This record gives sequence, C-alpha cells and structure tokens, in this order.
Amino acid sequence: MDRLVNDPARYLDHAATSWPKPPAVRDAVLRFMDDVGVSAARGDGARCAAAAAEVDFARRGIASMCGVPTERVAFCSGATEALNLALRAVLRPGDRVVTTAFEHNSLVRPLLALQRERGLSVDVVPPTPDGDLDPAAVAERVQGAPTRLLAVSHASNVTGATFDVAAMCRHAREHGAMTLVDACQTAGHVPIAVGADLLVASCHKGLQAPPGLGFLACAPGVLLVPQKQGGTGSSRARAEHPTEWPQAFEAGTPNTLALFGLAAALRHHGKRPHRGDVANARLRAFERAATGLPGVRFLPAPARRRLAVTAFTHARYDAAELGAIFAGAGFHARTGHLCAPWLLRHFAAEAGVVRISLGHAECDDALPELLALLRELSAN
Amino acid sequence: MSTPDRYSRQRRFTGIGPDGQRRLQNATALVVGCGALGTHAIDALARAGVGRLVVVDRDVVELSNLQRQSLFREADAEAGTPKAIAVAERIREVNREVHVDAHVAQCSAAWLAGLGVRPDVVLDGADNFATRYLINDWCRNVRLPWVYAGAVAGEAAAMVVRSDGPCLRCVWPETEQPADAATCETRGILTAAIQAVSGFQVAEALKLMVGAPTTAGVFTCDVWRGVYQVVGIATEPAPDCPVCARGERPALDRQSVGAVTLCGRDAVQVEPPPGRLLDLGRFATRLRDVAADVVVTPHLVRFRADGARFSVFPGGRALVFGVQDPLRAQALYDRWIGS
Repeated sequence: MDRLVNDPARYLDHAATSWPKPPAVRDAVLRFMDDVGVSAARGDGARCAAAAAEVDFARRGIASMCGVPTERVAFCSGATEALNLALRAVLRPGDRVVTTAFEHNSLVRPLLALQRERGLSVDVVPPTPDGDLDPAAVAERVQGAPTRLLAVSHASNVTGATFDVAAMCRHAREHGAMTLVDACQTAGHVPIAVGADLLVASCHKGLQAPPGLGFLACAPGVLLVPQKQGGTGSSRARAEHPTEWPQAFEAGTPNTLALFGLAAALRHHGKRPHRGDVANARLRAFERAATGLPGVRFLPAPARRRLAVTAFTHARYDAAELGAIFAGAGFHARTGHLCAPWLLRHFAAEAGVVRISLGHAECDDALPELLALLRELSAN
Repeated sequence: MSTPDRYSRQRRFTGIGPDGQRRLQNATALVVGCGALGTHAIDALARAGVGRLVVVDRDVVELSNLQRQSLFREADAEAGTPKAIAVAERIREVNREVHVDAHVAQCSAAWLAGLGVRPDVVLDGADNFATRYLINDWCRNVRLPWVYAGAVAGEAAAMVVRSDGPCLRCVWPETEQPADAATCETRGILTAAIQAVSGFQVAEALKLMVGAPTTAGVFTCDVWRGVYQVVGIATEPAPDCPVCARGERPALDRQSVGAVTLCGRDAVQVEPPPGRLLDLGRFATRLRDVAADVVVTPHLVRFRADGARFSVFPGGRALVFGVQDPLRAQALYDRWIGS
C-alpha cells in the first residue's frame, strides 16, 4: 500500500469517485458502526428508529433533488444496478430504444445484453463534431419510428459535456416514449430534476457518499415491475413480494452504512453550496494552456454548462504511459477507455485517453504543476 | 517394496541409510519455481525418492530455457507447455513412485495459504527476491526450514534458512538489495553455476528431510573464476530484523497488487516490489545490448523483448503492452526488469 496519493489537490479522478469525502460523512459512517449497526424496519426500538430516520432523511433529500415524491426513490447498490433494473423493467421483446454514443458501459452493456435477449432495436445518436449532443438529432430519432425508451446521459463521463436532457425528455414524452436519464456525473454538481420518467445516479461521486449506493427515482404514474424479490422489512407476514414503492425495489439488507454517509453528505451540501465554478475555471485554464502543446489533443466538448472534467490524448505517449508518469509525480488521473467505448471510437481515441476531473475538494490548485510536467513531456 | 534395488546406492551412503531413505519416501518437498534451479532440484529429489513433490510455476517452457533448465524438451518449448505440467510429465517417466502436485500459478500469499499440504522443506527456485521474501515470511509463520538458492552469470549463492536461525532478511535486508539487481536476461547465466549451487541446495534439503545437521553459512561460488566457499554468518537472528525481531511479515502482508490488466487494453501495469527503486539510466544502459527499440527519456524507458513492448518508469513501475495475462506480465517483468 505504498505510494498512495494523500494530497487531495493531486487527486484528479472525481468523475470516478469523490475523495476525500467531507469529514461529516466519515463521522456518520463511524456513528453507524459504533452506535446503530442495524437496518431500518428490521425490528423495534431506538436503533431501528435511528436508522429509519437517517434513511428517510436521505430519501427525502434525493427525492427533492430529482423532483419526485419521497417514496418514489429506491436505493440500490449503485447506478449499475439501478440501470439494469430500469432497462429490464421497461423493455419488452422487439422494443426500440434510442440512446447516445456518450453512454457508459453501465448502460451500454445491460442494453446490449437485453438486445440479444429480447430482440431490441437500438439506435445510437452520435455526438456532433464539437462533442455535443444535439436535441434535434435525438428528437429526429425518437420521432423516426415508434420508440419505447430514450436512454440518455445527463453528461459525458469523458468530457464533462452536459446535455439538454430536459428538452429531450419533454419531446420524447410527447411522442409516447419513456425516458431514462443517467445522472451519475451531474448529481451533486448541477440540478438534475430534468423531468425524466426514470432518473438514475450513483451516490459516491458528486453526492460524496461512500461507495456502494445508488438510486432510481421514478416519476409518479410510471409503472415499474420489481426485478428482484426478497426480504424488505415490511409486510413480513406476507409471502408475496410487496408492490409498494420503495419497498418493492429494495429487497435485501440495505447499505445503511452508506445511507448514513449520504444523509450526512446531503446535510453538508445544504450548509455549503457547491462551488463548481472554481474547479471549472481551474480546469478550463489548464485546457487553454495545454491545447497548444505539441501532440496534445483534447476531446471536444461545448463550453456551455460544462462539468470540471476533460480528456486528452498525446501523439507521442500512450495514455497509460502518461498516467504512470503522472502517478510518479503524485497525481491520480484516470487513463483508459473510461467505460465509454462508443465515444472513444467516435473521436478516434481507441488507445485510451487521460481524464482529469475535479470535484468539491477545497484544495490548492495543483494543475499548474501538472501542466509544467505535460509541457516538459511534449517538448522532449 | 516394488523396486528393492532402486535406492540401494543411496541407502548404502551412511548419511542417509535405510532410515533416511524411508524418511525421504515419506517426505514432501515444495519447490517454488521450475526454472533452472527448480528443474535441477526436482530431478535430483525425484531420483532420490522423495515421496511427494509440490511444484509451482506460472510460466511456460520457451526455447531459451533449454540451455540450462533440465527436464524440458524441445517439444515442450514448441507447445508452450506450462513448466509445472512439463515437470510432472517428465518426473512420471523418471520415477513413478514419486507423487507430483503440479500448480500452474504464481507463488503468492494466497496460493501458499491454500496449499493444503504441509511440506517438510521448501526449496527456492524463484527468479526474484520478492518471491524469496514471501517464502521467507511464510516459512517463518508455519515454522518450516527452506533452502535459498540464486544464480546469475557464473556466480551463485545458497543458504539454509532454519526456523530457529537467522532468516533471509537478517542476511539481506530489503534496503541492501542492489538497486539494479542483475537478471539472467541481462547478464546471462551459465548452466554450470546452476549445477554447482543446486548440488549444495539439494544436499541441504536431503539433510533437512532425514534429520541430519545442515551447513551453517552462505555458500557462494564463481564457477568461471573457480572460487567455491562457505561464508560464515551470525548464528542468531539480526536484532533489527523486521521478521525475526519484530514479528512482522512484510512480504505476506504486502502481497496484493502486483500486476493489473489495464481497462480495455492489451496491456498490464506491473508495480515494482516494495522497497526497490530502479535507476532508470543504469537500467537503460544494461538493456541496450539485449533488447530491441530501446528509447530513453528522463520520464520513461521503452523497449521490446519477448514479443512484448515495455514502458518502464522511474522507480520501476512498468507497462507491458501486448499482454493481457497479469501472470505472464509479471513473469516478463521479473525477467527483463528484475525484482
């Protein structure tokens, strides 16, 4: 376990997971371990009540963030489980799905598995040359043939480009399609109440909860069938799985540890609004300075409402080589395919990219140092 | 006994005798690594009638192995047979009374933990110090003796590590490892050096199995200069040894990440063994004669060897391109970059 990056300013992989978490999150996790330990609704007494109160607080917070009634938020192990649930519950044999080249493997892989299993037709909207997702292009695909589902990312996990998914959802709904939005990159950074039928996010990135927690927020009136059954702590006398939200979708022992962390993170965010603009300005300055360096190529993204994420390739270095050199200087950047094979292929970056992503951490700006290193590498 | 005459010469040797022979036939030896040292030891132990041999190696037979590694044939190299498997097949032909457990695996903390048999002795046939420190830690934990051996160019060294005496770290602390330890790939290796040291290693292992006193000190030889000696060492563990004095097991505890396959790539990232710092400049100088396409910059050294492309970074972290199997990448790393 040597050579761990312990300088938060050099941790540049917030798009993968945020670090460090707010001290209050750590304290909440410890409080659960030390004082509570049990699940909500699994017995009577003060411990269960304490657990129930925190889980309820977390659920209310997420619900208001997503613009859905509290009970329409189901927690699960992460966004991957939530996306699998949503896709499996919604798609029927022969259905048509419109999605985009920006999607993450957490959506792409279950979708392709279902395509084989249920004979779906999948229509993938490409990015514009400047790395945007054109709502008109999406609308055209949705209108082009009867569409069951529009599945779209709120933002690219590679470039940090955010998309006008509210307009896409509105249009899709008008044309009878259901909408699924992946808000993993945006939750905790920008508003995510975009009017989707199904909204999915993980809680360990911008929301700063511990790993192992995600959610599915479902608009009222949207009918969803649970994809797994089991103990829920409610309706224990009944043999059949409950049908009420959210219990129907939360079979099994919940990750109360992470839920305590999420509740604490939401309280923390309530007190200290996110200064995304600071991180953004730092990263954009880095981009501007690095753009002219020989060999450096940034993947394109529109400037509008961009997250503090950027990705580049270098003509003379493999992305993994750059990652190792940066790691040698104490930086934790991310290299590889970033689980976005479609996008990397589209921008001819099949050999992988280097991604720099900033988050909430209020820390010194280490990017000038990274820039100097990149300048040196590009020169010799 | 089905073959009464088989061990007659060995039984007649007073150091072994009928009792010793019986002990050997009931004994189990673990041989870590089936390279030059491992195959010579395994051949000798099987012929001596050691009842059970547990052998472990992660690599496959290659043509360049045949110069010094016994037991293997050209057909094994052509087929790319895993070394452990080839060893087991050959030993069946040499002595069918010997039971061979062949493991195609890296000798890791997890592998040792799941071994399932308790050997009487462990023989070191590893090609790197990271594995030796691991054997050292594990043998201390389970109170087993082991016999270290190593060779490069015309030189070799070996030593018995008893569970009550000084350990490998007492003699060679990690910090005193040479910063750019030579490997057989860069400095070459003479089979005679292997055979000289293997004789010492096997004899000491036999003594441990029959209960005879072992040689104290470190055996060293330089077969080209014709120098053979046993250098005395302290009889007590070093007072500052983390393993003996402080009860730590650094290699067992650190055994987690060594090599990881990169996301979506035909490439593996290999971390250097803990505590080792590679001098990139000196490393590049050594490489020039033996590897292809060597490129040196202040930030990395690139070269090609064994059909793979390597990028090595200051300190010793490396990327091995053209390989997906972490075990294979680790083996290539140990071979070309050393450990």
